[in-house]
Parts: sequence; structure tokens; C-alpha cells
Amino acid sequence: MNLTQDRLRSVGWAVCLTVCAAFVLALTFRVNAVKSQVRLAERQIVTLRQERLFLETEFETRANQQQLKTLNDVEFGYQAPTSGQYLENERQLAALGKPRGAGAPAPIRVASVAGLEEDSGFPAMVSPLTGKVLIGEAAAAEVPRGSARVPANSSDLRDRLSRVERREQGPE
Amino acid sequence: MIALTASPSAISTVISAGRTELASVRQRLLLTAKWRVLWVACAFVLVALAALLRIGLLGLFEQAPIRQDMAAALLPVRGDIVDRNGVPLARAFPAYALWYNPAALGGDGPPLVHPASEVAAALVRIFPEENQAELTARLASARPGYLRRRILPEDANRIHALGEPALEFPRENERFYPQGSMASHILGFVGADGMGHVGMEQVFNQRLTDPSTRGTPAMLSIDTRVQGALEDELGRGMLESNAKGAAGIILDVDTGEVLALASLPSFNPNLIDTAGSANIFNRVTNQVYELGSSFKPIAIAAAIDAGVVTDMGKRYQSNRPLNVSGFEIHDSHSFGASLNVPEALIHSSNIVTAQIADQLGGARLNATMRALGMNERPYIELPAKGFPLWPKGDWSRITTMTVSYGHGIAVTPLHLASAYAAMVNGGIWRPATLEKVKPGHAAAGRRVWKASTSARMRQLLRLIVDLGTGRKANAPGFRVGGKTGSAEKPGAGGYRKSSLVATFAAAFPMDHPRYVVIAMLDEPQGTAATSGQRTAAWNAAPVVGRVVPRIGPLLGVMPDDTRDVDISDLAPLIGSGDGE
Repeated sequence: MNLTQDRLRSVGWAVCLTVCAAFVLALTFRVNAVKSQVRLAERQIVTLRQERLFLETEFETRANQQQLKTLNDVEFGYQAPTSGQYLENERQLAALGKPRGAGAPAPIRVASVAGLEEDSGFPAMVSPLTGKVLIGEAAAAEVPRGSARVPANSSDLRDRLSRVERREQGPE
Repeated sequence: MIALTASPSAISTVISAGRTELASVRQRLLLTAKWRVLWVACAFVLVALAALLRIGLLGLFEQAPIRQDMAAALLPVRGDIVDRNGVPLARAFPAYALWYNPAALGGDGPPLVHPASEVAAALVRIFPEENQAELTARLASARPGYLRRRILPEDANRIHALGEPALEFPRENERFYPQGSMASHILGFVGADGMGHVGMEQVFNQRLTDPSTRGTPAMLSIDTRVQGALEDELGRGMLESNAKGAAGIILDVDTGEVLALASLPSFNPNLIDTAGSANIFNRVTNQVYELGSSFKPIAIAAAIDAGVVTDMGKRYQSNRPLNVSGFEIHDSHSFGASLNVPEALIHSSNIVTAQIADQLGGARLNATMRALGMNERPYIELPAKGFPLWPKGDWSRITTMTVSYGHGIAVTPLHLASAYAAMVNGGIWRPATLEKVKPGHAAAGRRVWKASTSARMRQLLRLIVDLGTGRKANAPGFRVGGKTGSAEKPGAGGYRKSSLVATFAAAFPMDHPRYVVIAMLDEPQGTAATSGQRTAAWNAAPVVGRVVPRIGPLLGVMPDDTRDVDISDLAPLIGSGDGE
């Protein structure tokens, strides 16, 4: 009996040891597998970064200053903006929408594109009395006092700037 | 079968004996079969055990394959150089080369699939500048070697389509400059020895190759867009005036940072050939010139600072040439009997400037010039720095007078730029630098002029552009101020009347100067584009007038017609005609 118990115990230990060893082995394999996955991912990252560097450099080369200058000379002809094209602050921007005082010089218009109203796709506003197209101040003068202000559905800045509501001159 | 042929009397014994024999045969055969199965099974088990053992060994003890750290793999062979905004100017780049490997096909057959002449013809279609006969000879000779050092990826694809295994395109780590010839004098190039030459490649060589530092790019102070604009406009000015060369520099007046530095004609650092290496010489930092009248404001500023000129309205005679120790100082033409200081600068009068310098004295002018670093090589990182031609010893009267209008002293355009920066920034001279300066970390510099002198000089420089010889540089809204200078080049036996150095030294915006712009043309000719004139007012000043509107908004200087430096106290002193 004793002998059997001893044997059982030692067999049990052996089984335990074997199982532990198997687990250690399995864990080691797993760790190595993950490690190699990380290595693969790293290698992929390196390849992609190098590819990105390659493409970036190619882009920089094709879009270098000299190429852009040539492209501008041939295709666009853009020039440096002049002082008239700058607004310094919000105050200056707001001043563009201020009603013009009596005898004041003509307002400075910015970003105005001539001939846009024909192509803007919006029908021109027509005076109900004369049937003529209203542009600029004439349109502004037509806005009746106290009536609902309908937002301008004009697409270009010139029209929007010119649709300034003015106080009526003369006796109140 | 034996039993059947045997006689009936012997049947029983034969049969029993035969059965026993059969049974033993069967048993033997079975045993053999079992043994065989056992052997095979054993073999399998052994193999499986061996495999398991090997797997175990591999998993437990085998060294991981030589693994490159990701950071190490991404570390460039040579560090990048970028501009102040991080735009790459030079980078290590695995570019394709075209290598001819005759042994690629193996065996004793011909190295190429197609005849050499056909392959050469196909290559010439891809690279039209190649010589077909030469290429055919090289392919036929079956000697390995580079056919081209650098090819584009699309060229590599087209060569691949030729189906010639002998044409290989290995990726090689090369130094690549995406902006081509732009800023080439600042960058320099990397030679076949892997060492940087000429520009910042040479200066930063240690830092760009050291593994601990090459990971972070070296940042320069230049701005690619500003550099492009300067080179573009200088090139145009050079073409229009048919000049031999041109130089330009844009300097931050408060920090000494060089925003752009151009020397034309330039070279392509991607391809150093004989034509390119002839242009490696840097005109901005290495060549010294007598810069002529652009020195006048420096002399006048020194006189104002020393208290020699206290009254801007004081008049000096201007219609009689000065005779000093056998030399005669005269003007290009007479500006009338007398001129005051603002008029003398507007008309660029040598006679008046020389008189003022004479009153100032050689010692004080010499001290100012020394304070501006005119007696030593220019302060900049670049290795090629020219030594000024500096009059030795105590300056005689005539030396003092000629130096005051930029003759008898030869400096680099960079010297002039630093001096103008000091003149307009409140009077503090700072060394120029090509490395980006962090805010608040500008060099301390040294005071050359009082702040009041600097303020007066801003007015005077603005006047010259507003009313004087610099009118063509007057970019609307940018409040440019500056001074022209057209100096005859010295030759054998005196000055050569036909070869000039035309300079325009400017700063903007004059109400709060931020940048100095110098444009210099070497030996400009009178052409239709310059109205037949060779002087700076007609060729160098327009270059500045075109550069400033292009770079101003990029550098945060917006054009504004409603601002300017106040010149109302000087305006009444200016006569309407050509002097009095």
C-alpha cells in the first residue's frame, strides 16, 4: 500500500512537472510568436516610412520653388497682392458695410470681380415700377423702411457690399 | 498443392506436417511484419522526437535573427537640412542608380538578352542625353559599372520593362536636394567621399553624420519661399541687364538671421560637373567689392552720431571738384552750387559726402567701420569668407574721403547687409547667422550708433527711395528705404569705366524696419530693359522693388498705404530741382 502511495505521489509529481513544463514551453512559444509579430510590424512600419519619405521627396522635387514659378508664369500669372487687397482688422472690414456719408468719396471695393453678376446663376433684381435691372445703390434705395429685410441671395461680394441699407435723407 | 499430388497412404502425416509448417511460416511472417511495423513506428517516433527537440531548442535557446532596432532603421545615413519652416532642403534619400551587371544571366552566354545596340537604343529613348554609340560599346564590353548614378523611379520602371536582367537599379543612399539649384551656395554638396563641401553641409558635417545627432534635422534660418523669390528676381535682373553675375541677401535686422542668400549663376548640388563647379564661388560672402555710394549713408550716420552734422539744412558746396593730395573727387554731374545732407544723399553726391567725412576725420570713420566689422571676415557660418581690402594704418585725408563714398575699401555684400541692419534697427550691430534663432535668443551685438541716429537714417533712406535715385525700388505700401551704389571696378591702371558693380541696399518697412535686402549686379550692361543705363538705379533698385512685394506678406509685413515713416521735418529741405 505504502509503496503504491509513494509511487502515486511520485507519478503525480511527475505529471505536475510535465504539465508545468508543457505550459512553460507553450508560453515561450507564444512569447516568441508575438515577438516575431512585433518585428514584422516594425519592419512594415520602416518600409512604409521609407516609402512615405520617398513619395514626399518626389513631391517636394516636383513642386519645388522653381517648378512652381514656371507653372505660375505659364499657367496662372498670379502676382503679389497689393495694399488695396489687405484688411488690417475687423474694424476695417466692418467699415466697408457702413453707410456712406453725404459727399464722401466712393467706397473702396475689395475682391470685386467684374462681370460676375451675369454668370452667377441668380436672376437680377428688377424694379417693379420701371422694369429695369437694379444694381448697387438703386437696389439699396428700394428697400422700404420698416419692411422685412430679406437676405441677399447674391453670390458675389460686390453685390452684398452694395446692398447697404441706408437711412432716408431728408425730413423724417 | 503438395498434398494433392501426394499418394493417399501418406495423406494424413503429410497434411499434419504441412499444417504445422504452414502455421510456423505464417507466424514467422506475422512476426516479421510486426517487427517491421515497430521499426517504422520507431523511426517515426524518432523523427517526431527529433523534430520536437529541434522546435524546443529553437523556441528556447535559438538567438533571435539579427534584429535592427526600428529607430536605427529609420535613422538617416546623413541628417536632413531643413529651412526655418521645416521644408526639407537636403535629405538622405535611397535613390535608384543604374548598374550594369553582365554576370546577372550567368553561364557563358552573352550578358544581354537582346543585342547591345538594341538595348542602347532603348536606353537612349529613356535618357535622350545619352550617347548611343558610347552606350553600345559599354554594353558590348561586358564590364560591370554604373550606367547612371541617379535615375527617377519612373525611369526605373521603364528600364524594368525592357526585360534585361543585366540592367540593375540598386537603391543607394544618396544626398538629394529637392529644391535643385536653389540655395545651393548655402547648402553646398556632399562629395563621393561622403564629406560635406562648400556650404552648411561642410559646417554641419560632424553633426549630420554623428548617429546621436543626425536623427534631428538641422534647421537653417532661411525661408524657402523668400529664397526662391530672391533668386528668381535676381536672375531676372541679371538677364535684363546682361550682367555677369548677381548676389543678394535678405537679413533680419533684429536677430541677424539670413532669410535668403543667393549668388548667381548657381550650381546644382545634385549634379556637380565642370560647369557647376565653376559657379561654386560665393559672391555674397567670399567676393569683396568696392560697393560705392551705398557706403554714403554709413559715413553720414557716423557724422550725425559724432555730432559733426547737427543741422540737416546746412549746405555744402557741390559744384567744384575737391582736390586732395593730387586726387580729384567729383560727381557724375553737377547738382548745383550747394546741397544739404538729405539732398546729397538723394542725388548721391561724392563731393558733399567727402566734405562731411573730412570734417568727421579718419579716426572716427575708421572706428565706425571697425565697429561694423568691415576690417575682418564677415560673421557667418559658411566656410568661404572673403577678407576685406581694408586701408591699413591711420587713414589719410584722401583715404577717409574715398572710404566715405565706398571706394578704397572692398567688402562683401554681407558686410554691407549687416551694416545696414545696424543702421536701421536702432544702432546695434549683430553677426549674421544661418541657424534659426529662437525668439529672445538673438546675439547681444554691439552698439555702433545711437538710437536717435538710427531714427534719422530711416528718414533719410526713405527719402532716397521716395524722391531720389532709389525710386524704382519703391514698392507701394511697403515703405522701402535704401541707397543705390554704382562703383567702377578696379582694373589695370585705375578704374574701368565700362565695368560697374551696381548695388542697392534697402530695408523695409521704414517705420519699423524688419528686413534688409541687398541686391548686387556684377558688370551690368545698358540694355533696352534698363533704358540703356548701367547704374544701380536702373537695374539693382528694380530688383528690390520686385522682391519686396513678393516676400513682404510672407514675412508678416503687410503693404499699407496709410503708414510711413514721418519725413515731414526733412521734406521742406529738399529742393524741387537738381539741387540749388
